[in-house]
Amino acid sequence: MTTPLLEIRDLHVIIKGEGKEILKGISLTVPEGEVHAIMGPNGSGKSTLSNVLAGREDYEITSGTILYKGKDLTELAIEERAAAGIFLAFQYPTEIPGVTTMTFLKTAVNAQRKARGEAELNAVEFLKLVRGKAKALNVSEDMLKRPLNVGFSGGEKKRAETLQMSLFEPSLAVLDETDSGLDIDALKVVAEGVNALRAANRSMIVITHYQRLLDYIVPDHVHVLAHGRIIRSGGKELALELERTGYADIGESAA
Amino acid sequence: MTDRALAYLDEVGVGEAGPAWLDMRRKAARASFADAGFPHRRIEAWRYTDLARLLDKTMWKAAEPETGAILPPEGRVNPFGGIESWKLIFVNGFFRADLSDIGGLPSGVELTSLGKALASGTKFESIFDAAGPEAIGPLAALNAACVRDGAVIRVKPGVSVEKPVELIHYTTRGEGQASHLRHVIELGAGASLTLLEAQIGWGGHYLADRFMQVSLEDSATLTHVRLQDEDVRAVHLTTLLGEIEAGANYLATTLALGGRVGRMQTAIRFKGEGANAVSNTAYLLRGDQHLDTTIVADHAVPACESAAQSKGVLDGQSTGVFQSKVIVAPGAQRSDARQMSNALLLSRDAAMNAKPELEIYADDVQCAHGSTIGELDDDALFYLRSRGIEEAMARRLLISAFLAEVLEQIPEELGRDQLLARAQDWFETDAEEGGKP
Repeated sequence: MTTPLLEIRDLHVIIKGEGKEILKGISLTVPEGEVHAIMGPNGSGKSTLSNVLAGREDYEITSGTILYKGKDLTELAIEERAAAGIFLAFQYPTEIPGVTTMTFLKTAVNAQRKARGEAELNAVEFLKLVRGKAKALNVSEDMLKRPLNVGFSGGEKKRAETLQMSLFEPSLAVLDETDSGLDIDALKVVAEGVNALRAANRSMIVITHYQRLLDYIVPDHVHVLAHGRIIRSGGKELALELERTGYADIGESAA
Repeated sequence: MTDRALAYLDEVGVGEAGPAWLDMRRKAARASFADAGFPHRRIEAWRYTDLARLLDKTMWKAAEPETGAILPPEGRVNPFGGIESWKLIFVNGFFRADLSDIGGLPSGVELTSLGKALASGTKFESIFDAAGPEAIGPLAALNAACVRDGAVIRVKPGVSVEKPVELIHYTTRGEGQASHLRHVIELGAGASLTLLEAQIGWGGHYLADRFMQVSLEDSATLTHVRLQDEDVRAVHLTTLLGEIEAGANYLATTLALGGRVGRMQTAIRFKGEGANAVSNTAYLLRGDQHLDTTIVADHAVPACESAAQSKGVLDGQSTGVFQSKVIVAPGAQRSDARQMSNALLLSRDAAMNAKPELEIYADDVQCAHGSTIGELDDDALFYLRSRGIEEAMARRLLISAFLAEVLEQIPEELGRDQLLARAQDWFETDAEEGGKP
């Protein structure tokens, strides 16, 4: 059997310095090329899971393991995880005043290339690369010249995140509530961008509260997260069931 | 009377005999400074910069000239060097005609040294009489008592000086050497000038006092770009007194990196309606550096605008001070004054003191002032790192972005990229190097 891209075993996580346990024994296996949806109500630990995968230092793993490509992910610093192919699309992308989107993208792409021992792209090569990808996602030249995420609409922010995903070409993309703050048209544009990036060598974890997003990004598997645990797993039809019954019923049936 | 002030005046303040009007004023200044002494923290405007204490027990002496070629260390060259301009060069407080370039001036433009102007009989009585507002303290007297030379830049009415004028100061010697300069900038009605000023030093423990008197007649415009890159063991004192007539503009942007102890003070007095003064500063401190930016805007007449923005990055055990005082005189309606200080503390031991003050005696005015003191944004750092940018680089990007708001106001052709690069270089130098004697 081949090594899965991501294997989480009995993961327990607390907020540093507070001691409150947020994740209470999560196990999740994501094979290469698959799209897994994680659904759950507010406060279930969805965002904590995505932050822990990206390496956010506000959390502490008290027990359990995370293996990424067969190796212990927790030994890698935040930036090393990015270079190793992990990408987190933020629910609320951070505004960075004073740093233009273009400068940021070039710095990030070259930092990752350098960390992997690849040649850095020069200005001309980079411009060519970014223009091609930006056009497909309807990211304008004007957006690229503006400070990163500053004054971007909800849709622009999510398109900019998707553009980053297409530039970084990650092995594992974690999409944290990508649908939040989007109307249906903006959602379609972003979903199309994401679907275009589905590939046999790329896995995705799509985190969402609502089933709506999964109409456009159709997952291979669906997991339900509640109170820090995965309480049910199934195929894409599980999302539809949730839509009908709500989280309360699912939680009760599992209890 | 203080013994230290007297000792200082005896060592540093011995000038050659000049014309009677000047000798009289220097004598008065000497008596005034001997009486006041170096300003200390019990004087309100010097509360955060106790100069008497910060000057420690150095036995100051008059600076010595340097006659050879001037070769700044790597990374410390004149950032305006590539710009086509006229040049006035001072080394250790002495005018260096051989290094300056003031030939072929267009008519209506005078560039010379104060020494030469005095020798040719020009009287600068009003210039030596000016003491500035209270916040300036006894530094005006100290300078008048000890000054040896300076630059004289005068532009006749209606003349737009096409090439910038560089005013470059190098200080190559330390060991307690002190030098005092007084610069005179006068623009006639409708005249315009760009002044590129640099203070670059590597001599060690020296004291550099530069006093600048700016007078702008109606609708004149002075654009002033400054770099303060003194030795991190040095004492740096800058005073700028500006008298601004109707419709005139004073536009200054400063990058300050140097000095163990620095006080950069600017006092603007509006004398005619519709005038505008902007003085923005970006600074980077580390080690045990102390830098005080003090700005006074005196809205003596209606409908003038003043703005001061200060953005500072403080590491190590450094201390920043921002004092900004706006005075709106009775009847000075439609005055618009804005002052803002933003400080980014990179270390728990760094400290920032911000004191905005408003004295308003008119009712139809717009005054805004504020101060923020903060750390780098954790969310922004996490975001950048999650994109593969390593932590040191991410911090650098955020700090540069913070300062860019001030530095990007410098026009590209006036050294903007060079000053941005200078700020970048700050990160390259070892943090331990800064401020250690």
